Amino acid sequence: MIHKTFLFDFRDLNLTVEQIERAMGYPEGESHEPIYDIAARVMKEAEAICDLKAEYRIFENITFDPTNKKVTIGEVTFDIGKIIFGQIRKADSLALFTCTAGKGIGENSRRAMKESDLLEGYIYDVIGSEAVEAAADLMQNELEVEMSMEGRKITNRFSPGYCGWDVSQQHRLFSLLPGNFCGIKLTDSALMDPVKSISGIIGLGPDVRRMPYTCSLCDMKDCIYRRKG
Amino acid sequence: MSEILQQLSHCVEFGKIDKASPYPPDLKGQDGADEITKRALEEGIKPGDILEMALIPAMALVGDKFSRKVIYVPQMLMAAKAMSGAMKHLKPFFQSGETLRKGKFIIGTVAGDLHDIGKNLVAMMIEGAGWEIIDLGVDVNTEKFLKAINDNPGAVIGLSALLTTTMENMKKTVEVIRGNYSGLNVLVGGAPVTMEYCQKINADFYSPDPQGAVNYLNQLS
Repeated sequence: MIHKTFLFDFRDLNLTVEQIERAMGYPEGESHEPIYDIAARVMKEAEAICDLKAEYRIFENITFDPTNKKVTIGEVTFDIGKIIFGQIRKADSLALFTCTAGKGIGENSRRAMKESDLLEGYIYDVIGSEAVEAAADLMQNELEVEMSMEGRKITNRFSPGYCGWDVSQQHRLFSLLPGNFCGIKLTDSALMDPVKSISGIIGLGPDVRRMPYTCSLCDMKDCIYRRKG
Repeated sequence: MSEILQQLSHCVEFGKIDKASPYPPDLKGQDGADEITKRALEEGIKPGDILEMALIPAMALVGDKFSRKVIYVPQMLMAAKAMSGAMKHLKPFFQSGETLRKGKFIIGTVAGDLHDIGKNLVAMMIEGAGWEIIDLGVDVNTEKFLKAINDNPGAVIGLSALLTTTMENMKKTVEVIRGNYSGLNVLVGGAPVTMEYCQKINADFYSPDPQGAVNYLNQLS
């Protein structure tokens, strides 16, 4: 079983203040001076407190159930729904991954909000989200390179809670990973702690593909990421 | 409207919190919402007039600009903070009963969901519209909602959820509220929530933005 751990430096992510502005809703090319200045300052602070870590573990003992759109890894079955099933059904193995920006960024966000600085808290929150996604991109790129050396490819990454995969199945996903994987713990309601963390599945094999954008496949018309895109 | 209330309204609309705030640049070094509110009270302007003639109109403009995508969440939060700087001077008058608010609004993110930015934003806009906010926080179970309703008869309820999966808990919360109290207004909101879902779970109102909730509440008050 292949298991890899990555530690990233915040600077590896190449996040820009403009990117954070886009994530806060400002259209391309539009900036607001005070917000830009505050975001630049908070980003500098975030650089010092983000503790970026990603891990994946590859499983080869997988079976697909096309009728019920399920996949089983070992003895754990996931009801991944038709969208994700369609993307990973040709995989010969699956990577389960987690990635986190660490506790500090979420704590700073909550602290700022508690002290009635909602703007700073919001900016920390947005930077945390962008940072963990960017770190997961780096991990995924490394996985893609690794697979390409064997003539294999990867799919997009899919997480419980999105594309019709129930978030409660996060518990099943974590049951296949060693305790304290990436330093993430699950709440009873399947949310991750630290909050700025993501987890999910990536299909691997010669016959899968990574698509630039998959929202058109999804029937969740009100998904926040569809709106963002 | 007097000049001082116009100044206050301008400060709130553009997020000028106090004299130390460097923004907006054209007001640098000048008094902000904090100092102007204090001065207005010292000049004998009634707290209710400060609320009704300066703060509420300013926040209504902010909400309207947000709805039209003229400004975005960060500018709305700056305005909300400036409003808070003014409100801290008015709170003693609300507490003493000298100045009345439009009503009480109980708000919380439903059980299982830890997201609070949208909920906080709505709470601040509704407070800026003259309502008293009872914020129950995040991951709020039905018992906590019921206790708050019991403690604050006649309050309007606001439920927030960011995840499609926790929307189910929104449905359960509405069911439990309806099962225990009749005639209460329940508003729902959050990224995955729609008017169709609002109707399906028997809530009273949904708005995709805070100003819609403010407009709805204004009709009730």
